[in-house]
Amino acid sequence: MMWSWIPQNWSQIWHLTWENLKLGVLPALYGLIISLPLGVVAARWRWIYPPVLTVVNVLYAIPSLALFIALIPAFGLTDTTVIIALTVFSLCIILPNVPPSVRQAATAMGYGTLRRLVTVELPLAIPVIIAGLRVSVVSNISLASLGQLIGVSSLGYLFIDGLQRDFPTEIYVGLFFVIVLALVCDLILVAIRRVLTPWQPRRQRRLERRLPLRRVTA
Amino acid sequence: MSFFSWAWDWITESANWHGSGSIPQQILAHLGYSFLPLLIAALIAVPAGVVIGHTGRGAVFVVNVANAWRAIPTLGLLILLAVFLGFSFLTWLLPLVVLAIPPILVNAYEGIAGVDPDVKDAAKGMGMTPWQQVTRVEVPIALPLILVGLRTGAIFVVATATIAAYIGLGGLGRFIIDGLASNQYGPVAGGALLVVLLAVVVLALFALVSRLVVPAGLRGQAKLGRTE
Amino acid sequence: MITFEEVTKEYPDGTVAVDALNLEVPAGKTVVLVGPSGCGKTTTLRMVNRLVEPTRGRILLDGQDIREQNPARLRRGIGYVIQQTGLFPHRTVEDNIATVPVLSGWARGKARDRARELIDLVGLDPALARRYPYQLSGGQQQRVGVARALAADPPVLLMDEPFSAVDPVVRASLQDELISLQNTLQKTVVLVTHDIEEAIKVGDLVALYRPHGTIAQFDTPERLLGDPVDDYVAGFVGFDRGIRRLSFFPSAGLELSPAPVLSADATVAKAQATGEPWILVADDSGPRGWIQATRLGDHPGGTSLGGLTAEGVGHTFRAGIDSLRAALDAAVLSPSGQAVAVDDEGRVVGVATFDELRAAIQAADAADTAGISGAGRAREAVPADNSKKRPQAATPESSGSESSGSESSGSGSSGTESEGSEPSGARP
Repeated sequence: MMWSWIPQNWSQIWHLTWENLKLGVLPALYGLIISLPLGVVAARWRWIYPPVLTVVNVLYAIPSLALFIALIPAFGLTDTTVIIALTVFSLCIILPNVPPSVRQAATAMGYGTLRRLVTVELPLAIPVIIAGLRVSVVSNISLASLGQLIGVSSLGYLFIDGLQRDFPTEIYVGLFFVIVLALVCDLILVAIRRVLTPWQPRRQRRLERRLPLRRVTA
Repeated sequence: MSFFSWAWDWITESANWHGSGSIPQQILAHLGYSFLPLLIAALIAVPAGVVIGHTGRGAVFVVNVANAWRAIPTLGLLILLAVFLGFSFLTWLLPLVVLAIPPILVNAYEGIAGVDPDVKDAAKGMGMTPWQQVTRVEVPIALPLILVGLRTGAIFVVATATIAAYIGLGGLGRFIIDGLASNQYGPVAGGALLVVLLAVVVLALFALVSRLVVPAGLRGQAKLGRTE
Repeated sequence: MITFEEVTKEYPDGTVAVDALNLEVPAGKTVVLVGPSGCGKTTTLRMVNRLVEPTRGRILLDGQDIREQNPARLRRGIGYVIQQTGLFPHRTVEDNIATVPVLSGWARGKARDRARELIDLVGLDPALARRYPYQLSGGQQQRVGVARALAADPPVLLMDEPFSAVDPVVRASLQDELISLQNTLQKTVVLVTHDIEEAIKVGDLVALYRPHGTIAQFDTPERLLGDPVDDYVAGFVGFDRGIRRLSFFPSAGLELSPAPVLSADATVAKAQATGEPWILVADDSGPRGWIQATRLGDHPGGTSLGGLTAEGVGHTFRAGIDSLRAALDAAVLSPSGQAVAVDDEGRVVGVATFDELRAAIQAADAADTAGISGAGRAREAVPADNSKKRPQAATPESSGSESSGSESSGSGSSGTESEGSEPSGARP
């Protein structure tokens, strides 16, 4: 383990971490932004929901690397490809977890219900939604490293370069930063949840029942 | 050209179906590389999850395992092991088993722990021994979730075995990795499509098994706890 | 028969759920444990089948300390019914019922036959045998729960708030089923409830708990109503206990007068001649209605009573069979203030005024205090058209007595339970 390598290459490490972070967070946000209206639509036209869920289940089973590859002809070997793929997966995680009450409240028309939606239903839905975001962000961060295989810049570069140069230090650093990055994002999201929902107890147990445990890699 | 046309052209190219490293060979290899780790992981994780769910001891451990697991990048782990153990059998088997355990473990645990406490109380109060409570009542009721865990694990393993090609493993990932290295999109797309098809087949297989194995009385209320 | 000797349950955090309990549950009787939430009644119940182990004291089942038996084997010999039924969702109704027999080694075919017998016994439609619990209503599920508990014909039945989760109509019907089952089967039943009415209706003996694990009074329901040991018991039992107590007194001794009863073709003149303030018009099929004497004057003496409009009768009571409470209720609802007594076929036997009722009540009271009230206690379901006859009960014990174990058990250790952990807090 060559410790001195770290400060020497700090700017590169930092750059890769930043890229990885973007690839982790942005898709989750996009997924959230799409899930909410999609959930409302599904509440309005009830019959849509079951087929949508089935599609979501099948999409979620697609190995990540395969989805990256499938998007290459359309979006090239760029981070857009990775972001879109990860957004799809984030959607799969978040959409089923938009609580029915939010969806239903949104379908009723009228100013009164809009207000209720914003002031009551959404705040109540925050814990579940944030739980979904956490799973999504953490998975994305780790999956983003896979994007390196198709040339998209992320901490995965350190793995591959470390292997090619037979230089374990680089690999350790890569692993460390990915894990720490995921942990930090997770904690930040928990903090956000506590700030937004002061009425909730500090520890949330059994909340993540309905969430997929992890995005399958590859 | 689109992804599908690239893939289709390559798959239908008959040369790819003959010789060493052919499509059928790699499909079979991939199945083998997926099935073995899954089996081992299931043999470890299902009993562990059942025991933890029944006794309640070690539940905290299970929750933490689930959280930690998400953050580990598989590619990095595979590469790390390759550096230390060389490119051997264990190098891919070990991480695949270890990484397949959490979804199976967590779902088995949740399945058992989620059994209605009144049902558990009745089973105990009627005179079932702990073994009987677990085998005759808790596991059958937890079966849907246990199957979900196994399904998740299976798809995960199929996907990860694909990446393991990067550290030298055979299977469908071979087409992808080699194709990327030689800038040939044909095998890359073809390999990817085959992997997706394999994953979908696994999904369908589990749906079928679930229909056959899960007791009829549970289907009426099986809509709860659909993780993933 | 179940004996509790100085049984105490104390939790590590200091909560005492059951405090030095001494109780004897006679064989073949229904004993109801009733009290406020958290009083220890459920804990007491669960100590009988060792789901909870006492901290001190011991429990004897037919003379044998239950700790000497393997817990699983002990439980197979005790029927257990809980509030939320705990039916196995993955098994059919008949397989649910067949559980304990199969556990005890019966062949599945034989067990299923037995299950079908029980389905019949608890009043369920045989077509439900192959259904799954989620397809049944709450009342049906609870019946399955009872059938399941009775499958292996255990001598003892433990019931933990079995009827609390269903609506009142279903509850009343289930309670009646239990009473009638007990008449046939005569199991030793221990039932926990928070509903004093249920306790009084269903129990041969009732143990009323104070809030913290001791028993205030252990007595027959009649004694509980008639002779509460202190204000706490009186308050718990309810303010109209005087009237409710009358359910336990048969109307056998009630004097009936046939004087105001006339047939439809009797004349107004004849009615006026009786001197009664109210006339009851009756025929072979039953009472037709009351006519107030002051209205008779509006009609010529020769009019037959059948032609006049009469006021409704309210309801009637069966002479000698229904209780004094039914008779009193009939009197209260009657426009004339007199209760109409009918026989088994519904024909009017006579009427009773409030005076006669009062006399009968006082007589019954006196007899009861003198301890002679054993004669055919009438137990009625509400409303009073169906009284449940009980086999001759043993003379009730004097109020407040509980059979006390004279020797306290030597080792007060909690007896290690080999399986699972107990709930960490006191349960009601």
